[in-house]
Amino acid sequence: MTTATTVKTWYLVHKWTSLVCTLFLLVICLTGLPLIFHHEIEHLFDEGKPVAELPADAPPASLDRIVAQAKALYPNEYVDYVYIDDHEPQVWVGMVPELGKAVEKGHAVRVDLRTAEVLHDGPPYAEDRFSFMGIMLALHVDLFAGLAGELFLGFMGLLFVVAIVSGVVLYGPFMKKLEFGTVRAARSTRLKWLDLHNLLGIVTLVWAFVVGLTGVINELSTPLFRLWQSTELPRILAPYQGRPVPTALASVQQAADTAMKALPDREVSFIAYPGNAFGSPHHYIVWLRGNTPLTSKLNSPVLVDGVTGELSAVARMPWYLTALEISRPLHFGDYGGMPLKILWTLLDLVTIVVLGSGLYLWIARRKATDARVAELVRRHQQATPQRSPA
Amino acid sequence: MTPRQRFWFIWGMPIALGVLSVFGLLAALLGTGAWHWASWVSLSILLLVIARYWWFPSPR
Repeated sequence: MTTATTVKTWYLVHKWTSLVCTLFLLVICLTGLPLIFHHEIEHLFDEGKPVAELPADAPPASLDRIVAQAKALYPNEYVDYVYIDDHEPQVWVGMVPELGKAVEKGHAVRVDLRTAEVLHDGPPYAEDRFSFMGIMLALHVDLFAGLAGELFLGFMGLLFVVAIVSGVVLYGPFMKKLEFGTVRAARSTRLKWLDLHNLLGIVTLVWAFVVGLTGVINELSTPLFRLWQSTELPRILAPYQGRPVPTALASVQQAADTAMKALPDREVSFIAYPGNAFGSPHHYIVWLRGNTPLTSKLNSPVLVDGVTGELSAVARMPWYLTALEISRPLHFGDYGGMPLKILWTLLDLVTIVVLGSGLYLWIARRKATDARVAELVRRHQQATPQRSPA
Repeated sequence: MTPRQRFWFIWGMPIALGVLSVFGLLAALLGTGAWHWASWVSLSILLLVIARYWWFPSPR
């Protein structure tokens, strides 16, 4: 049973969590619109060559050959990672002039998975941050402030989730006498938008809650990976303590084969080279994705010795990394074809209306809303027997 | 209205739409083909509900 004071408390929680996060959430929702279609947009402005027209069952080239193509362009640089696209038969080979400087100096060469032909020699990530999509991504994820920005926007997302929960609690008392979907359009603009705010908010509740919460989890990806590195890896890395990053590496194709033998029925999605900032100084960390709709989103890490190419360990996937991996598709909306992306766009637009109308309700008629809450409080006090001092 | 009727008067539709949303979000994640269609249809219903009450408010 909601009492008068708790209605008021929840109202204050809803008001303040919303007020603090709304402007940031509006920016996040707006920049999220092009990001839903980042794949299509990047394709449209792609300066590289398209992948070769080959039958779907054309065999992949050896990863060694693919990496050699990238190395031929930058003979003095290190390979940082290999990422195999899950949409198109292409591979990104990450390169760094200096180990551990991927953010500042890294760049990637895109190579056809079957022909090993170079498709695009990409610009440095640092430069890409100021392309249109780079700016959209930065405004959506870290406001150009790196980890601090990620944690800040993550906190804003958390406030958004609290605003959603408190909004649901308030929905009950507000809708006590109203049929679902009532929009009192004729009486006043404020009343109409209050009803629309409630309607749009309650209908998109689960979607906004899921996208909000998975957004927060995505913002925590850097600390979560660091946690995994510092808890799971030391056990495996102990015998390698104090040795430098090896320069003569085992074949990357051999590392991939070793990993796929350790976890059959999976395919390679990502290989972090020895020295990669999110990897190990001594191992290839081979991430393998499954082949069912769900497991294709879940990657499992296998550590392969960087020098011998032999299996070191199949690392355990802690629950928080699984949560992070499952949070990606549920946040991006990229797991159900173009119709799902369009639905994501429309639901995002509805959320913008909920945020905007919430802001409007606060600015336009603060007094009227406060009076309505006072009325609700009074009604509750009348409905529940008062315990007065004798 | 009894307390139970009152509860369902307020929360009936929100719960139904919430269940529909969860189904819609998971269907495309766990299946392909027909499950994708099930996901698209169930999430579209949310938007249709909004359109129905926004554009055709019941006279009051």
